[in-house]
Amino acid sequence: MRRNWWRWLLVLLVVLAIFLPSQFWLKQRITQYKSNYKTPLSPTIMVPGSSASQNRFDTLITQLRKETKSAHSVLKVRVAESGQLTYTGSIKRGDNHPFIVVAFENNRDGYSNINKQAQWLDLAFKDLVKTYHFNHFSMLGHSNGGLILSVFLEKYLTQTAHVKPERLMTIATPYNMESDSTTKQTAILRELIKGRSRLPKKLTVYSVAGTENYSSDGTVPANSVNQGKYVFQNQVAHYTQITVTGDDTTHSDLPQNKQIILLIRQYLLQEVLPDKDRVSVIKRSQHADTDETGLP
Amino acid sequence: MVGQLRGLWRLNQRVNQWRAMRAVREALRVAYPFILVMALTDVIGQGCLSKSGFFFQIYHIGSWLPGITLWRQALQAVSVVVNGLVAVMIAFTTGHYLARTYHTEPLAVGMMSALAFLTLNVNYSALGQNGPTGSSFLEANLGPQGIFLSILVGLGVGWLASHVMQGLAKWWLRRHQVALSWTSRIAWSLIVVLSLTVAIGYGLSWIGGGGINNLVYLSLQTLNTNLGHDGLRILTMTAISNGLWWLGLIGPIDVAGNSSVTSLQNLAYAVQHGSGWDAPHPVTLHTLGDAYANFGGAGMTLALIIAIWIGSRQASYRRVANQTVIPNLLNLNEPTLLGLPVLFNPVLLVPFVMAPAVNIVLAWAAISWKLVPPIVYPVPRTTPGPLVAYLGTGGDWRALLLSLLCLGVSVVIYLPFVRLLNDAGGVDHAA
Repeated sequence: MRRNWWRWLLVLLVVLAIFLPSQFWLKQRITQYKSNYKTPLSPTIMVPGSSASQNRFDTLITQLRKETKSAHSVLKVRVAESGQLTYTGSIKRGDNHPFIVVAFENNRDGYSNINKQAQWLDLAFKDLVKTYHFNHFSMLGHSNGGLILSVFLEKYLTQTAHVKPERLMTIATPYNMESDSTTKQTAILRELIKGRSRLPKKLTVYSVAGTENYSSDGTVPANSVNQGKYVFQNQVAHYTQITVTGDDTTHSDLPQNKQIILLIRQYLLQEVLPDKDRVSVIKRSQHADTDETGLP
Repeated sequence: MVGQLRGLWRLNQRVNQWRAMRAVREALRVAYPFILVMALTDVIGQGCLSKSGFFFQIYHIGSWLPGITLWRQALQAVSVVVNGLVAVMIAFTTGHYLARTYHTEPLAVGMMSALAFLTLNVNYSALGQNGPTGSSFLEANLGPQGIFLSILVGLGVGWLASHVMQGLAKWWLRRHQVALSWTSRIAWSLIVVLSLTVAIGYGLSWIGGGGINNLVYLSLQTLNTNLGHDGLRILTMTAISNGLWWLGLIGPIDVAGNSSVTSLQNLAYAVQHGSGWDAPHPVTLHTLGDAYANFGGAGMTLALIIAIWIGSRQASYRRVANQTVIPNLLNLNEPTLLGLPVLFNPVLLVPFVMAPAVNIVLAWAAISWKLVPPIVYPVPRTTPGPLVAYLGTGGDWRALLLSLLCLGVSVVIYLPFVRLLNDAGGVDHAA
């Protein structure tokens, strides 16, 4: 009898020794699955520069559609000064890589306007996440659109922490506004540098500049684009600067520049381009998958 | 019921009289200690040291055990040798024992049948080519999944070689009035046997790539693809699969290791919605079979072990049960199957197929009536059976209750058959 009692106790101990740790393991695994989970839907959010409407990227998108042969659908959002959202277009069912263009009624230049626009972008963004339930996305910003996206990333994205940005490409974004100086920082640059530690650590950033001559694309000084390194370098996972010269490199032509479209396809949309079109820079290694347990 | 059990008992007794059955039992008895050691190695290797092992994960062994790669490699070496060649051993022991009953040369015939088994699994496509084009044997077939074939080969070669030897000796004696030398007897029968099996093996290599085993497996796998959500089909498939395990055809229908699209979709749903209720694919082979009908491995052998503890008076059975309970907890049940043996045991075939089938019906009903959610989160293969459903549902206690119910029901199903075997006796069970 006494022996039996010991035996049962042993069985109980073994069961507990297996059961209790497996509880903790379970909790840990589930949170891990949740944080690793990616929705099939992964839109590219496009923000045009100052004085541009939600139709700013139409030429670019037509080009992209023609070249990629995948029918990226387009949803356009216009944010009024009151914060009211107007949607045109739609995300087609089954299209997991749509474009979402966010434009603003107040699309004026200047420090305070850009800050307001970032706040409006956040409004639109939250509404989009609520409607379409995506948890990762990429961004394309032209000119001041890049500034709006940068401010948004630093100031507002932390409020929707479960949505992870993957790639940001800014085209001719004047991180130091119109200033050609390499030493004087304008208000917006100061602010971006101050908040840079809040940038998403896993983000990959490409800053594309166009130059007509050696110093400017006609509107934005090359030096101002270059100041982006003080914001992103050593803060995000990768920061790459690319300068495009040749035909169609004036500031407003850049979004439909052939070279830049290829850059967008290769880096932002991560298409596999045919060899002749590929822009050969460094090959980025894919992150190896974490060691997953096989399904039972 | 009692009458039927009596009938089963008589069948069992008769089958046990057959020379071939006795040879198989004897062969498995000799192979059992080797397989037991292999299984215990696998318990440590797969359960505790492998990254996907259950105990490795819950105890975070990787973070505190020094030199883990070294341990892994050492255990893998043992596992590769013993686990990888178990079928060859069984071919040897079967041929050996059969030859003994014919009173010919047991050792020579055993070696002959091991060689014959190997010739059937030569990688013919890699022969005649220069350079390292792969292994010269189909290594996958030499492990546990080759057991059925090795038994067949052992029996065939044992019979053929014994008869060739005896016939040759008689014929020689009549013709030349002197006895045929030992060497000639062995050599001639070896030539006969090997030319026959090489011819078969080479012929089969024209039909399919993976040798004779692959042929059987491929034909069965076609049944397995696209099982869908039909509970009846899942039930039939599991029953057939377990029947094949009983024959020694281990794992043609891979019930475990299921990483199909449906499971991934279920996981995606659960991650988004927080639980597996209303997952898109509630009834699949994975959510029924893996979760509720695979405790200890195919045939709910964990329940068999408990049934033996409760109801068996056979010392050998109790011994095997005690020795194999730990591998069974990690769903490694080959030693139980070969040690009792469950393989080719007509009495145990019934519960071996019935217990998982009943469990699948129970789980099917419970999931359809929304009493439990289906399992959605992946769990390691070496997770103790009754915990699979609990952990797979993300910690739903109803799933745990259902698991325990399934275990209980299976024990009840196994018990009468285990008791029936109490009357079996004699030398066969003196393991």
